[in-house]
Amino acid sequence: MKLVAAAKVRRAQEAVVNGRPFSENLVKVLFNVNSQLQTEDIDIPLTQIRTVKKIALVVITGDRGLCGGFNNYVLKKAEERMGQLRKIGVEYTIVSIGKKGNGYFKRRPYIPVDRLIDGESAPTTKEAQSIADELFSLFVSEDVDKVELLYTRFVSLIKSDPVIHTLLPLSPQGEVCDINGNCVDAADDEMFRLTTKEGKFSVEREIVRTETPEFSGVLTFEQEPIQILDALLPLYLNSQILRALQESIASELAARMNAMNNASDNARDLNKSLSISYNRQRQAKITGEILEIVAGSTVTI
Amino acid sequence: MTLNLRVMAPNRIVWNSEVQEIILSTNSGQIGVLPNHAPLLTALDIGILKIRINGQWSTMALMGGFAMIDNNQMTILVNEAEKAVEINPQEARDTFQIAQKKLAQAEGRKQVIEANLALKRAKARLEAIDATPPSPVPN
Repeated sequence: MKLVAAAKVRRAQEAVVNGRPFSENLVKVLFNVNSQLQTEDIDIPLTQIRTVKKIALVVITGDRGLCGGFNNYVLKKAEERMGQLRKIGVEYTIVSIGKKGNGYFKRRPYIPVDRLIDGESAPTTKEAQSIADELFSLFVSEDVDKVELLYTRFVSLIKSDPVIHTLLPLSPQGEVCDINGNCVDAADDEMFRLTTKEGKFSVEREIVRTETPEFSGVLTFEQEPIQILDALLPLYLNSQILRALQESIASELAARMNAMNNASDNARDLNKSLSISYNRQRQAKITGEILEIVAGSTVTI
Repeated sequence: MTLNLRVMAPNRIVWNSEVQEIILSTNSGQIGVLPNHAPLLTALDIGILKIRINGQWSTMALMGGFAMIDNNQMTILVNEAEKAVEINPQEARDTFQIAQKKLAQAEGRKQVIEANLALKRAKARLEAIDATPPSPVPN
């Protein structure tokens, strides 16, 4: 079971690697378009900063169990965040992705839910697109003023880290910020890799910085830079969502690997102690019978 | 000097080969691209992409993004792309009709935005397989 999960983690990792060409090219063009826009006031729906009255919290959980505390950590963090928002008087609505989360929120009708979406075993662009559509329309129609994404970062095989990132409004430069305001440049992409160290599986994370060379000065913009940015940002939104889904799946698989591993170890221990206990009983019975026979024979002699 | 086309979606490279001619649908009209085109960056609306290889035209439905051409290398980044051969005609027609119905029933700004997007996509898929969108469903 552990090796099956390990193979799936590798496939999840390949999916992330396959997405690299897309993100690299997107970042390059984003930087260059932004440098053309420096002096203008940007008024694109997806980047609009409004006073926050309502937040959409997107919660990504898994579809299946047998993964230890994975889903619980995510849901605990969600409850924590909802508590914080209630304290500062901000309304919220939940978009839940993943059967485990869906079940949790269904059993608690007092939590306002916008949509429950079932996850898929391998995140696809279609899935990311439909989530993006939902969030896009929630944000642009001014139903909500901010969209936060709660997913599990794949830190290491034994550690799961649920994090909350601000998804919308997007920053025109494509920065990714968490709710405490710590921002990471769009050109810095963190990738995870499943490798083996000393015969055991381990995860390595590395930060890959995309080169952003200036475009040759003759590049014509077919439309106004603002319109082009308007077309770029939904692509960026999609790839962010896809990435979060991929990381969550990888974390879930790692958690399952661990849970399966622990279960196998425990079962082995249990088997051993049960064996010993059974043999002891058997031996005790045999000894008992021998004693009876010896005692009986002593009498007859 | 041959023209090379790369089409990328967030999770895969959809196309990467040399082509003879490309026709893009942008929101300011269609653009034809031949080898040695001047450097250009354009936003792409949800629509179709036509590619000519060996004199044969093939079509792809693109779900919005942008295209950049520089030095005979055309790079197209889209949310999603579907080759015409991959689209099931009956399924595409059904999806289009469902999208039309949904738009007619949509209430509130949010639902209208969502329904419009879905309709545009379904229409692009139909256009890609060269089927004219059927007339609106009578009530």
